[in-house]
Amino acid sequence: MRMFATIAKLLVKRVLTAIPILLIVSALLFCILRILPVDPAAMSLPPNATVQEVEAMRAEMGLNLPLYQQYGIWLNKLFHGDIGRSIHFRQDVTSLIGSTLPATIELAVIAMGVATVFGLAGGLFLFYVRGTRAEAAMDFLSILLLSLPEFLWSLFLLLIFGVFFEVLPFTGRLSPGFERPVVTGFLLLDSLITGKIPTFLNALEHMILPCLALGIALSPSLMRVLRSSLLDAYQDDYIQQARLRGLSEKRILIRHGLKNAILPTLSLMGVQFGFLFGGTLLVEIIYSYPGMGNLMVDAIRNADLPIIQGAGLTYCIAVLVISIVVDSLYLILNPKLRVR
Amino acid sequence: MAIPSANNPILSAKNLCVESLGGKESFPVLTDLNFSLEPGKILGLVGESGAGKSMIGRTISQYLPNGFSVTKGTLAFDGEDLVTMAAERRRNLLGRDIAFIPQEPLSGLNPVLTVGQQMKEHLLRIGLAAGENWRERALKEFEAVHLPHGAALLEKYPHQLSGGMCQRILIAMAFASRPRLLIADEPTTALDVTIQARIVKLIAEMQKRDGTAVIFITHDLRLASQISDEIMVLYAGRPAERGPAKQLFSAPAHPYTRCLQLANPNISGPRRGLFILPERMPGLRVLKELKGCRFASRCPNAIEACTETEPPLADIGPNHIAACIRTEKTPDIVPPPLAPGREIASTRIHLNGEKLTKAYTTAWSPFAKRSAFKAVNSVDFTLGEGEFVGIVGESGSGKSSLARLVVGLDTPTDGRITLAGRDVTANGRSEKAYRRQYIQMVFQDPQSALNPRRRIGSIVTQANEASGLHTGARERMDRAAELLKEIGLPPDAAMRFPSQLSGGQKQRVNIARALCTLPRILVADEIVSGLDVSVQAQLLDLLLKLRDEHGFSMLFISHDLSVVRYLCDRVLVMYRGEVVENGETETVFADPRHPYTRSLLAAVPPDDVNTEWSPVAAEAGYQIE
Repeated sequence: MRMFATIAKLLVKRVLTAIPILLIVSALLFCILRILPVDPAAMSLPPNATVQEVEAMRAEMGLNLPLYQQYGIWLNKLFHGDIGRSIHFRQDVTSLIGSTLPATIELAVIAMGVATVFGLAGGLFLFYVRGTRAEAAMDFLSILLLSLPEFLWSLFLLLIFGVFFEVLPFTGRLSPGFERPVVTGFLLLDSLITGKIPTFLNALEHMILPCLALGIALSPSLMRVLRSSLLDAYQDDYIQQARLRGLSEKRILIRHGLKNAILPTLSLMGVQFGFLFGGTLLVEIIYSYPGMGNLMVDAIRNADLPIIQGAGLTYCIAVLVISIVVDSLYLILNPKLRVR
Repeated sequence: MAIPSANNPILSAKNLCVESLGGKESFPVLTDLNFSLEPGKILGLVGESGAGKSMIGRTISQYLPNGFSVTKGTLAFDGEDLVTMAAERRRNLLGRDIAFIPQEPLSGLNPVLTVGQQMKEHLLRIGLAAGENWRERALKEFEAVHLPHGAALLEKYPHQLSGGMCQRILIAMAFASRPRLLIADEPTTALDVTIQARIVKLIAEMQKRDGTAVIFITHDLRLASQISDEIMVLYAGRPAERGPAKQLFSAPAHPYTRCLQLANPNISGPRRGLFILPERMPGLRVLKELKGCRFASRCPNAIEACTETEPPLADIGPNHIAACIRTEKTPDIVPPPLAPGREIASTRIHLNGEKLTKAYTTAWSPFAKRSAFKAVNSVDFTLGEGEFVGIVGESGSGKSSLARLVVGLDTPTDGRITLAGRDVTANGRSEKAYRRQYIQMVFQDPQSALNPRRRIGSIVTQANEASGLHTGARERMDRAAELLKEIGLPPDAAMRFPSQLSGGQKQRVNIARALCTLPRILVADEIVSGLDVSVQAQLLDLLLKLRDEHGFSMLFISHDLSVVRYLCDRVLVMYRGEVVENGETETVFADPRHPYTRSLLAAVPPDDVNTEWSPVAAEAGYQIE
């Protein structure tokens, strides 16, 4: 019970501190993008528009008002869920983000799952071989893996499984001929809800390579952190004491060692998950995956300010949410942090 | 040499040798260990750190450090050799027939599991009777170790409990399986005196209930003599003396035992000087080159012959053996005369506290009402020039909080502190600067108090950085050399790092650092706890010597009453933030007025092994836990 009270307390506190953070980020996004030498009015008009037409457009868009007023208007609209219209796509930014964000979330969550499985398994294995000859080899291997970035993995996996063996698809989210069900926006979830198992399997096939690429790239650092936290935990008296009570090594590792060593690993996972939102970008491009990353690249290429602002805010919210989730998990796993 | 007995020994060692074989060189860790322990008996293992006491426990469990292994001899548990036994069979014995109680109760329990989860795990492993519920059984075991509110305790995490309670839980766990052998490795070192007494009594009580044989490992010979039937004194991995506890304590045959005894200050009778054991025990790595007696280099009775061959363990009385060729000379070792009493040059008062109070309020929270807790409550004290004043009390009594107020790490919520005539209560920037000229603090744990990345020379002259005087490299090195000489370290120590020094040497450096700018007052918080008695004696005499030279005064915080009795002119007894008794050390300890002082004194194991130690009775009405 005390645990839930503490988590509730944490949530209230974190949501309250999130408000000023979001205000500061939104102001930064707004100002920085206004300073850029791009004229949104000129961009919204055809190239042969006259100066008068541009001026009229500027007045219409409110660009001749003082900056703080512009920010006020923008913020007010933001509160009503209106981030503006994309200049390039001629679509509401909210609907653009609404259609790409679920794709990125699905990619990031599954990739994180892959990284967790590989990271934990690898970390336990690295710990298991400590002090043996295999340790040096494993150590070398984990550093080698650590130094390969995710886009390289993307290319490797694409070439091997997509091009050479031709066993897995590597473009988009669905093969041609499949119809996309829309309920929540999350493709895997929607295809399950509507009972379209073949669509679900096809979508899953498309996710394998990008998720593997991201997961494999993230896992070596998890492995190494878990291994070193396990080594630390094994210096502590309670491990020795558990041995002296005659518990089996396996039980000591899982129940006593891992339960303590998982804490630093968890905070690293939180940080990685935050980065993953921006980090899917290259992988999305390589696999032509229609997520936020691809949307961002298009937006930046076309200086599409409303999208950049919207995506920036989304990223900020995602990071805040992840940090709250990680901190809550920390409270659940580490009783010392709970109020006495 | 074996003690004749009708009973079969539960544990017996025959010519047991443990060596470190890993790495470049091999060296002996334990040499020719012989002993046998019968059911229901307690064997005390005594010696300085590094003597190999804990290694015996590790040999029994066969969880030896990397590269260590048994190279000779046998260690039989109930007739079965633990060394050659299959690992699975041995693991089966651990926790069921052989139980362990650790040194650090707080870290002996897993911090992320509740007491109940850990108790359940253990009870399920040792097996419950048919139809028995683990919870009921756990409560029963808690009751046996006098832990009240067992049901609530099961939901708690270790960090929510005191060290004494954690140790009781670990004892309950250890005795839950009615083990035949228990190894208690310094089970009370990390605990308060009063708690120590109760825990020791509890172990004895449980041991009697189950007829368990116990190996009680401690560095405190006095404590060992109170609880044990037999004592074995270890020196550098080899038994120096073994014999019935009372006999060994009242008439030690080996000079080492005698020296250890005399290095510890006495708590009753006239105060005596401390025997200073010079230097340190030889390191395990040099033992192989060492001919003759391992103790010869520090022995006051050593003669030429002692350095030629290693003395065998010889019978010197019934069941009493010692490895010394001159045991008849041992009683000649006497403590040095007590340093002459301090000449009080003036009655000037350096430091004066009036109605000092430090209250802590809980942090603001919308969910709970703020509450205040007075760590220090209306304390009056004075510290005169050249005076050593002891502050005693248990953890949580406010000793350290008072010290923090005195050195200015905290600002009092009420009351007044005057330092050399100036009111420093406000503790602002100018008061802090003023304080720095007068007061320095020596911290408890030299391991963490010394920056591991700085050289000793730079550590001891750190105060020059703050004062801004004599900050030149040359000046600092000169001052460092002076300081090191005063504390008895070689001059080349200035270039070393803390990790290259022993625990006792580090604590000397810690003292030298505080003395650098010649403060008038030292505040020392538990600076000798956790050190060997030999090192403790060296440091206590060092402090007295330095006072003679520099005339500083000191607030000496300690939980060890015999140390305070030896060192301090006056004593303050603190209980729950208040001073309950205050006066000349001799008077207070000889005729304590407050029941709490009486209970503290009763908790110290008596000097005379024939005096009955009844700490728990004296505590009636003064419950701390």
